[in-house]
Amino acid sequence: MHPLSGFSLTRRLTLMFVGVGTAVLLGLGWVVSNSVEKHFEALDMEVLSGKMELIAQALQTVSAPSDLTQLSHQLARSLIGHHGLEVMLLDADQAVIFATANASFDPAVVAAQARQRPGQPALWQLADQTYRGLAQQIPTAALDATGHPASVVVAAAIHIGHHQTYMQAFLQTLWLFVAGAAVLMSLLGWWSVRRALQPLRAMREQAQVVTAQQLSHRVTVQNMPVELAELAQSLNDMLARLEEAFKRLSDFSSDIAHELRTPVSNLMTQTQVALSQPRAADDYRHVLESNAEELDRMARMIADMLLLAKADNGLVVPNRELVDLAAEVQALFDYFDAVADDKGVHLRQSGSASVQADRLMLRRALANLLSNAIRHATPGSVVQVWLTQHESAATLSVDNTGDTIAPELLERIFHRFFRVDPARQRSSEGTGLGLAITRSIVVAHGGQIAATSHDGLTTLTMRLP
Amino acid sequence: MKILIVEDEPKTGDYLRQGLSEAGFTVDLARNGHDGLHLALTEPFDLAILDVMLPGLDGWGVLSGIRHARKDLPVMFLTARDAVDDRVKGLELGADDYLVKPFAFSELLARVRTLLRRGSKAPAETSLHAADLELDLLRRRVSRASQRIDLTAKEFALLELLLRRQGEVLPRSLIASQVWDMNFDSDTNVIEVAMRRLRAKVDDAFEPKLIRTVRGMGYVLEAPPCTP
Repeated sequence: MHPLSGFSLTRRLTLMFVGVGTAVLLGLGWVVSNSVEKHFEALDMEVLSGKMELIAQALQTVSAPSDLTQLSHQLARSLIGHHGLEVMLLDADQAVIFATANASFDPAVVAAQARQRPGQPALWQLADQTYRGLAQQIPTAALDATGHPASVVVAAAIHIGHHQTYMQAFLQTLWLFVAGAAVLMSLLGWWSVRRALQPLRAMREQAQVVTAQQLSHRVTVQNMPVELAELAQSLNDMLARLEEAFKRLSDFSSDIAHELRTPVSNLMTQTQVALSQPRAADDYRHVLESNAEELDRMARMIADMLLLAKADNGLVVPNRELVDLAAEVQALFDYFDAVADDKGVHLRQSGSASVQADRLMLRRALANLLSNAIRHATPGSVVQVWLTQHESAATLSVDNTGDTIAPELLERIFHRFFRVDPARQRSSEGTGLGLAITRSIVVAHGGQIAATSHDGLTTLTMRLP
Repeated sequence: MKILIVEDEPKTGDYLRQGLSEAGFTVDLARNGHDGLHLALTEPFDLAILDVMLPGLDGWGVLSGIRHARKDLPVMFLTARDAVDDRVKGLELGADDYLVKPFAFSELLARVRTLLRRGSKAPAETSLHAADLELDLLRRRVSRASQRIDLTAKEFALLELLLRRQGEVLPRSLIASQVWDMNFDSDTNVIEVAMRRLRAKVDDAFEPKLIRTVRGMGYVLEAPPCTP
């Protein structure tokens, strides 16, 4: 689990805001204090190296040990007035040749510094004072016992107590400032995050209004920040899909109720009338026969509705095999031969194609298409099936000549219980589910189906991958 | 022929028993799974019809029990649930057929007869008869009262089916499946039209009429008993 997952968004954002802000301030403080420190060091070094230069020049004039004593006086004089500046001269044996009043640095440390890091700044501690010092070996004009130029270790140091006091005060102020800023940032952050999330709360309030009865309610997208507008739009799209599905579901239920009401009412009336007085055996038989027909139709309708319900829920899974569409169409022509002939309709097909599909389902889908085309064909006309094989799909179109279907009704012919001519409702043939089943089967195969109709020619085209 | 029905729904059970008895079978009805299995294992039945959802022991349980003792007993399942899983499960357990409620009784009867016929291999016939109608299977010719009748291939197949199952009411769905290999409930009047055309050729000009429509159930070909 994410460590922040239990926190509210406001809290998370505020924490992040404060964290980042504090880190930035601390970083800035570090950079500033570092550069101030560097600046002080540079100032000190300037003074120290100036002095070092002077001493080095003076040492050039020393050609005999006696000159050193004179030099010491000279140095003592020249250093008066330099508060906090200490100078120390050591000979080769680390004996102190000259030292200012407070310059009691450890000669060993000074000599080591001169040897190892000549001319580099070092911090020396003396009593409770801190000095920044510089040590260097400087040759003189005098020669030592071996005949080489004798050299002197020169150390110059400057008292940096006031710098340190300043830095301490600076750091203290910085800490206080950072702490204060953190508190201020958390307050400001919390406030601004709350303000920024205000549209989210508004959205929540709007979303709470949506119920099964009020699926048409939508979240306002205008005046929303861009990020939330997208979310709101997605939410609205989801609501639209839900509303659509919900509507289909309730339509489905009311369709069933409506479509079953008529036959059930027929059955009830017929049976009760038959039972209301004694009749001849033949009369009873007629009633039962008629009931049997009606019940058979209802049973078929229930089976079809179940198939559609399953298809709507994605439960219809085709068992695919290679199907030769031309052969299927031919088999169906055989099946519909008598009906078409009766009506004087000619069946023709051209082209060839094959697809990976569930043979039984596909046959059913095609049967519904053909039966529909034959039913609506003008006597004497031709019902033509066109097959086309494409690279990754096959199309099958069925043409029939008959009444033109109005464009606004074209999409609806694939809806359950839709009949172009309402007067044909409840004709003995058909449950009004044929094309809906065809579409479900096509969709279950990942295909599409569409209809066009003009100048008396109606074409239903299905495309199967 | 002795048939066992295991069905807990009282009305369905009673009507199945009545219908099958009237169709000439000896029928025993059990109202729950345990009784059904006991009967199936003690009496010599030729066929068992099992409902899937039964109190006590369900249809699958009864089927496995039967398959333990009698491998050859044909079993047909009835169910209100049309789930593919159910169908697969039934067939895996060794069911021979499967009917989804609501079903037409004529459909059930036709399938029962198919299952019962499966066991006894009828001798290969060369011709089929009913009254003065004759269908020559070898030369694929049909004649009635010695007059040659021309039939299309499908009409011939349809007549052959009716003749082979004389006296049985054949539901439309069974005819569509057997003659045209259309294994779904078609909502057209295809079978009606095909049957009308067949009758026009086979029956219209002759007496007695052999093919009869049984409204709400299907079609039957039957020679009246009085004719020779």
